[in-house]
Amino acid sequence: MPSSEPGPYRLLGGRIPYVEGPLKVTGRAEYTDDIQRPGMIVGRLLRSPWPHARLLSVDVREARALPGVLAVLTGDRYPTPFGVLPITHDETAIAVGKARYIGDIVAAVAATDELTAEKALSLVRFEVEPLPEYSDPRSGLSKVAEPIHARGLLGSNIQKEVVQHFGDVDAAFARAAVTVRFRGRFAGVTHAFTEPMATVAEATPDGRLTVWSATQVPHYLHRALSEVLEIPMHRIRVIKPEVGGGFGGKSDPLPHEIVCAALALETGRPVKILFDREDVFYTNHGRHPTQNDVRIAADADGNLLGYDIEALIEGGAWSSFGTVTTYYNGVLAMGPYRVPNFRYKGQRVYTTKPPSGAMRAHGGTNLRYSIELALDALAEKLGTDPFDLRLRNALPPNSTTINQFRITSTSFVKCLTAVRERSGWDAKFRRLPYGRGVGLGCGFYISGSNSPIHFTPKMPQSTVHLKVDMDGGIAVHSMQADIGQGSNTLLAAIVAEVLGVDLERVHVQRVDSDVSPVDLGSYSSRVTFMMGNAAREAAESLRDRLVAAAARTLGEPAETLEVGHERIGVRGRPDRFVTFLDALHAAMETSGALTASGSYRSPTMGGTFKGARAGTAPAYSFAAYVAEVDVDVETGAYRVPRLWAAFDCGRALNRLAVEGQIEGSIHMGLGQVMGESMNYRSSRLLNPSLLEYKIPMPQQMPKVEILLVGDDDPEGPFGAKEAGEGPLIATLPAVGNALYDAVGVRFSELPITPDRVLRGLDLRAAEHRPWKGA
Amino acid sequence: MHLDPFELHRPTTVDEVVRLATELAGRFDYLAGGTDLLPNYKMHLNAKPHLVALEDVRELRGHSDSRLGAMERLADLEADRTFGRTHPGLTDAIGEVATPLVRSSGTVGGNLLVDTRCFFFNQSYFWRSSLGFCLKADGDRCHVVPQAERCYATFSGDLAPALLVLDAEVEVAGPSGRRRLPLGALYDPGGDGIRRTRLAPGDLLVAVHLPPGPPGRRARYKKLRVRPSYDFPELGVAVAGAWDSERVRSLRLAVGGVETLPRRFDDLTDPLVGTPLTPEAVNRLADEVQRRVRPVHNTFLPPDYRRRMVGVYVRRAFAEAREGSAG
Amino acid sequence: MSSRELLSFRLNGHPVEVPCPSPRVLLDLLREDLRLTGTKRGCDLGTCGCCAVLVDGRPTLSCLTLARLVDGRSVETIEGVSPPRGLNPVQAAFVAHGATQCGFCTPGFVVTATALLRSNPRPSRAEIERAISGNLCRCTGYIKIIEAIEDAARTEE
Repeated sequence: MPSSEPGPYRLLGGRIPYVEGPLKVTGRAEYTDDIQRPGMIVGRLLRSPWPHARLLSVDVREARALPGVLAVLTGDRYPTPFGVLPITHDETAIAVGKARYIGDIVAAVAATDELTAEKALSLVRFEVEPLPEYSDPRSGLSKVAEPIHARGLLGSNIQKEVVQHFGDVDAAFARAAVTVRFRGRFAGVTHAFTEPMATVAEATPDGRLTVWSATQVPHYLHRALSEVLEIPMHRIRVIKPEVGGGFGGKSDPLPHEIVCAALALETGRPVKILFDREDVFYTNHGRHPTQNDVRIAADADGNLLGYDIEALIEGGAWSSFGTVTTYYNGVLAMGPYRVPNFRYKGQRVYTTKPPSGAMRAHGGTNLRYSIELALDALAEKLGTDPFDLRLRNALPPNSTTINQFRITSTSFVKCLTAVRERSGWDAKFRRLPYGRGVGLGCGFYISGSNSPIHFTPKMPQSTVHLKVDMDGGIAVHSMQADIGQGSNTLLAAIVAEVLGVDLERVHVQRVDSDVSPVDLGSYSSRVTFMMGNAAREAAESLRDRLVAAAARTLGEPAETLEVGHERIGVRGRPDRFVTFLDALHAAMETSGALTASGSYRSPTMGGTFKGARAGTAPAYSFAAYVAEVDVDVETGAYRVPRLWAAFDCGRALNRLAVEGQIEGSIHMGLGQVMGESMNYRSSRLLNPSLLEYKIPMPQQMPKVEILLVGDDDPEGPFGAKEAGEGPLIATLPAVGNALYDAVGVRFSELPITPDRVLRGLDLRAAEHRPWKGA
Repeated sequence: MHLDPFELHRPTTVDEVVRLATELAGRFDYLAGGTDLLPNYKMHLNAKPHLVALEDVRELRGHSDSRLGAMERLADLEADRTFGRTHPGLTDAIGEVATPLVRSSGTVGGNLLVDTRCFFFNQSYFWRSSLGFCLKADGDRCHVVPQAERCYATFSGDLAPALLVLDAEVEVAGPSGRRRLPLGALYDPGGDGIRRTRLAPGDLLVAVHLPPGPPGRRARYKKLRVRPSYDFPELGVAVAGAWDSERVRSLRLAVGGVETLPRRFDDLTDPLVGTPLTPEAVNRLADEVQRRVRPVHNTFLPPDYRRRMVGVYVRRAFAEAREGSAG
Repeated sequence: MSSRELLSFRLNGHPVEVPCPSPRVLLDLLREDLRLTGTKRGCDLGTCGCCAVLVDGRPTLSCLTLARLVDGRSVETIEGVSPPRGLNPVQAAFVAHGATQCGFCTPGFVVTATALLRSNPRPSRAEIERAISGNLCRCTGYIKIIEAIEDAARTEE
């Protein structure tokens, strides 16, 4: 159970069950595949069986002639490139000119039923020229025979290269008393949400297009649809039904969403595209396969002097968020410790594989594993405790990093202190028998990106509208996207908190671009912070008008009034009040139904050098986890029986949701450590299934103790910061360092499967380096 | 995903099944629990135009201490606590098959005849078409062992090793009547890896018979897999026998999950009968079994690791063997 | 045997008759023909548990069950497990404990947990973990699901 301190709020800070919970437990919540439209037909996609091929010609006549087929599309029909980042538009709805990976969409069919559609796909004939396959990112670092994209750097497959240097790293290493190096190698992992992607689109005779889609970012989808289909945004309506998990995998505008809309436009019929699980794996956009090299220098007292980091990041066939990824794999090293000198070289390289993209704790996860394992190596060399090393170097609150990140609140030291005590660290570290161990891993993550995609900083990143009418029900509109994390619940709770009303009065409306004001959606762990502030502002504006109306009714000055539970009354005079409904009706006398709007803009921050905005955020989360492991040294199998998770999300506004995010993050992080990996033979994905992609089972989950120790953030809504992504990061190094404590091997290749554990033990034995007497 | 059209037959007696099976020879599959067959059909793997559902054949149901109906569901065996106490090794194996939802429909016969598995076979039609079809379905080459003329897909049933060490017999109905054969004789090592049993056209697996074991028999099945649920065996080791530190009275050992068929190692265990079961003897046995098995790289864990685990799992199976309360 | 003969079975307590070709699986029949969309399609291959329903009270993967084979039997879906108003104890516990996040796996978990508690009203934690180990959840790490089932078991007593 988490620590619990009673807060100053009526609802916020408590355990608030999800508002849509009753619909979900009864199967009544509506997901995209549950939508049925009159006359709806089926869209199916033809995927490239070639890893890399020039599409010389295509013959669709036979497919088109098949009875029941209403449309056959190839890439030339809607060739406008798009992509989530405005600077890297390198995707098309359907491949144009080339297919770039096995699974790339090369044609699409709309037909009356699934069987007809599949039959039609089998009748589409391509003439292709096979092109070289690039399955190893290293092969794409220099000029190649056939770059996957023309935009590759100097004829190579390098999509993005970042070189940064702050301070003087060479000088720091030259004067260091101790240096360490850790090279990590990370398989690609994927989101594996339970709901496969699905889209429904319908073009109507009034010239409008409606698209329902399982998306985390309805607004970016809205923009991409408009760009590619060349229809103004106001004639497109994007609706987000319930979304069965995203974790970053539904944050890019995806080709099939555009294809579905295109098929609806072509046929005049509502069209549904539903993915098979295999399609989900090909769409991927999961965490990048990564090789990193982290060198750290410190003085004899353990003060960090500098980081020197390199990363080779495998992008797959598209850019996606890759430019951001390339920055994040360096700059997210800037916390939770003071780093006085910093050098980074990152390269993201296209390969002929399913695209990598943003996945929960995007850019911060693989980097953090290597840093935290390096720090433990450093502590060992210095003969100091891993906690003491980290305490000595903790970033102070209200400070600026060397790359000009603005750090406001941090409770990192409290995280370390709490988790050290609760885990019994001092009695366990290096004291458990061979095969058992404890490890510390820490985390640092952005609470929303300061740099919004597609917007100038002057535009709000989130807007929330409220409407309240005679019935006293409060309708809330916002394009924030609840994908299961509980943002609808938080939105309702903030409004109810400010207005003093029961939660049941507040109705968060389905995301619908016709009525929902723009919010940038669920990515970069931004929703609580940004939407929360917008919601608070909207609710306060509404509250002020209710208070003014109550003041008139009561004949008291507004300054003397306060909002109570379902009432507004005179402070200190319990008998002098009007009910919420009476105040509302009084306020409506002049204007009818009340509406209010609130918005959030991130403050100006960051340096002026190239790439300075990457990683800037209005706040950062901090974490310190201790994992305990139990290794079967004969088989290499291991368990993680316990995990203590101290997390600084500022004030936890809904403890139920914060715990849920932390527990789910630990599960996902453990998956990446213990067995999840996208396995390839050259460019071919070997395990596109939930049977062979090894998500952990209930029996593999540790007993988790959550310690919420954050102090209020000065700018977060009611003091809150993010808790959706940061909690994943510390999981991996905590286990990695615990394995070292258990068996004396720092595992550098993830996932750490039992065979790799045994190989590590073999190597150690071959070097005659005993550990804990074994 | 969809199933291609087929004709569904629902016989109610064994005789009717045999008649149908004879008539449809080569053009049908039996449908037991469907948890292995239907995923393969959805991926268009060797789907046939007829399915003979065994659901309604009463004789195939039910179980006792000595007989398991071929259509008895694994969950029903699992729920029978008395059966569990008397058949420890078999219960280990049953409880580790796939997931509870699969065991709810999955059957004894279905698990004994479960199709072999391979990363290059258990894939969609699209996936396989992009690589080139393999000799187990629609093609003529092997992507695991180049130039192979036989299939190396892995036998992935859990029950077979556990039943092999109990000297289980299978009852088969065929056009010429009923016969019983040792379970080991059901599997045909002379096959090409695709045809793996000695079942003839028209044959139906009716039941598994468990002969009484020696007094004090112990047994254990140990399964290697990445997760404690879902995963097919990357290795399964079964031992059963009666022994103490003085003398081995009987001993069987079988291994599954590493080759195309499950194997019993009587030539290694028979000589141990009458001798004391020393740790050294167990080690020698474990090493020799490990030396003999030949996994290939067609499952999640690498073959050298799976092979190394053979020795470990054999030793552990002996150490953990439990006595069944009724011999 | 005609390939589209009428299939008749009890669905959530009521008899239904519906034409059904042989290759139709129960999941498709429920979702597409009968428009009972509470049962979810997560993988179509028996590897996620989102499509679990009860057939004669037994938790069953509807994606791997030929619909024709439920002829004459009783099928209970998430819609049938739910009372006409309000929530059953398992559902109420899932809401109270935050055992839903995205909710897509939830109907399968509720069905599986309901069957567990009918056959084993006081399951141990290990028994709960085992019973739900054929249902995938990617959001919760299972912790709150297990707590909810434990709580429902206490409530139902």
